[in-house]
Amino acid sequence: MASATTDIPAAIEPSASRSVTPKRQYPGALVVVEGIDGSGKSTQLYLLKRWLEIGGYRIHFTEWNSSPLVRSATRRGKQRRLLTPATFSLLHAADFADRCERQILPLLHGGYLVLADRYVYTAFARDAARGCSPHWLRNLYSFAPIPDITFYFRAPLDVAVNRIVAGRPKLKYYEAGMDLGISLDRAESFRIFQERILNNYDQMIDTDNFVLMDGTVQVNKLQKQMRQIVGERIELAQFAPTKKK
Amino acid sequence: MKRPGKIAASVSSNGHRSKPSRKAADKILEAPSRFYGIPLPGVKIEELSGTLIVIEGTDGSGRSTQISLLTEWLESQGFAVQTMGLRRSYLVGEDIDALLAENAVTRTTLALMYSTDFFDQLERRILPALRSGLIVLADRYIFTLIARAVVRGIGRDYLHGMYEMALRPDLTFWLDVKPEIAFDREFKKAHTISYWESGRDMSLSNDLFQSFIRYQSMIRREFEYLSKRHGFIELDGEGGVAQVNRVLRKRIASHLGIRSTHYQPSHALSHLWR
Repeated sequence: MASATTDIPAAIEPSASRSVTPKRQYPGALVVVEGIDGSGKSTQLYLLKRWLEIGGYRIHFTEWNSSPLVRSATRRGKQRRLLTPATFSLLHAADFADRCERQILPLLHGGYLVLADRYVYTAFARDAARGCSPHWLRNLYSFAPIPDITFYFRAPLDVAVNRIVAGRPKLKYYEAGMDLGISLDRAESFRIFQERILNNYDQMIDTDNFVLMDGTVQVNKLQKQMRQIVGERIELAQFAPTKKK
Repeated sequence: MKRPGKIAASVSSNGHRSKPSRKAADKILEAPSRFYGIPLPGVKIEELSGTLIVIEGTDGSGRSTQISLLTEWLESQGFAVQTMGLRRSYLVGEDIDALLAENAVTRTTLALMYSTDFFDQLERRILPALRSGLIVLADRYIFTLIARAVVRGIGRDYLHGMYEMALRPDLTFWLDVKPEIAFDREFKKAHTISYWESGRDMSLSNDLFQSFIRYQSMIRREFEYLSKRHGFIELDGEGGVAQVNRVLRKRIASHLGIRSTHYQPSHALSHLWR
C-alpha cells in the first residue's frame, strides 16, 4: 500500500570520499554560493564579482543552467512537461558536466578564481526534494571539484518566498515543483517545495562545510562579511593583476 | 496485466528471473532483482508483467536484422512488441545526434546525455509497455553505454551507479563478432567508417582501420567483463542470419513458454534471411 511517489529521502548523505577535502590538483580556486530562491545569494555573488573585477583579479563567473548544450532539450522537456525526477536530474547533470569539463576545470587548471552561482549542492537539495536518491545524486556529480568556499545564504522561508512571489508575475511549472503534485495552487506548491529544499540544504551545512550567511542582514553589511571571509581563506595575491615589468 | 499468449503458469514464475543459474538463492523475492539498485521513483515492480529482451553487440553484429525478424516472429505468435534503442528518445535523441556531429562534446557530458536518453525511453515508453504485458526488444542497452564510457576512462563504479535505477533485462543476448568482421560488414554497408564507431575522439591511430580495430577491441574486452558480471547469453554473431535467429528463438521461446520455434520470414523480410 505504500505509495512510492511520496517517499522523500530525509537525509543527504555525503559519500565517504567527499567528506575529506582532497588536495587540490590545480592552482585556481573555486568559490560557490548556494541557497534557495530569494535568499540573496546572487546579489551577494554579483557584488563579490564586482569587487574582484574592479581590483583586476583573474576571475571567471559561471552560473547554473546556462549552457547552450541542453537548452533546447530543457525547453522541450519543460514546455511539454515530459521531465521525470530522473530525467530532470540527468539533464541538469549533463549541463553541469559540460560547464565543468569545458569551463570550470580548464579555468581552475589555468589559475583562475572561479565564482559559481549555484553548484552541485543545488542538485543535491532540489533533486532529492523531487524524490531522487541522495546516494545516486552524489555519485552522479562525483566528477565535480570540491569548492574552496561554499557560502550558504539562508533566509527564513517566508522571507525568501515573498521575495520571489512579489517579483514574479507567474511561477513556472517545474520551478514551483508542480510535477510533484503537492498542491494545485502554484504559490502553495512553490512554498512546500522550497521548504523541502531548505531542509535539505540545512543538512549539508556540516557535512559539506558550508559557510552560513544570514540572508536577512543588510546587503552591504553581508557583503563586507563575505569579502572578509574570501580574503581570509583565499590567497588573493595569486589572482592579482600581473605587475608590469 | 496478462502476458498475451502466455501458456503455462509454471512459465510465468520463470519469466522475471534474470539469472536463471541462481535458482535457489533468488527464490525469496524476484521483484527487487528487477532493478540493479534502488528502483525508479514511483515504479511498482509487481505491475511489470511484460518481458525485456536485450540484444547487444557492436555495429555490424547483425542486431537490427535480428530484431526485425524477432519482431515478426513474436507478432506471429500473438505477442505485442515494443522496441527501444540508443538516441531514440523524444527528449534528447536529436540533441545527441547534433552533439555527435559537432565533435565538441566531452565524455562525461556525453555519458550523461545518453543516460538522459535512456531513462526518458525507459520511463515513458518501456515501463508503460511492460505494464501492459508487452515484449520489449532493446536494440542495445546500458551495457553499450557503459562500455563506451569505460574505454574513455570513466569509472565503472560511477557508471554502474548512474544506471542503478535501470531495469534488469529478463534476457540479454550478446552477438559477438570479431572487430575485423564488423569492419567488413560496416564498410560494405556504408562505404566508409564513422567517426565515433572508429573511436577517433580517442586518438588511437591516424589509420582509420587501425583505429576502428583498436577501439572495437577495447569495447569487446569491456563486454567480456560485463558478460560475466551480468550473465549475458553469448552468441556467435559471425554465423549466418538464419542460424543466429534460430538460437535466439529457441532461448526466447523457452523463456516465454512458446512451444513451436518454427519460423519462416514473410516476403517483406525475406531479403534479410541470408
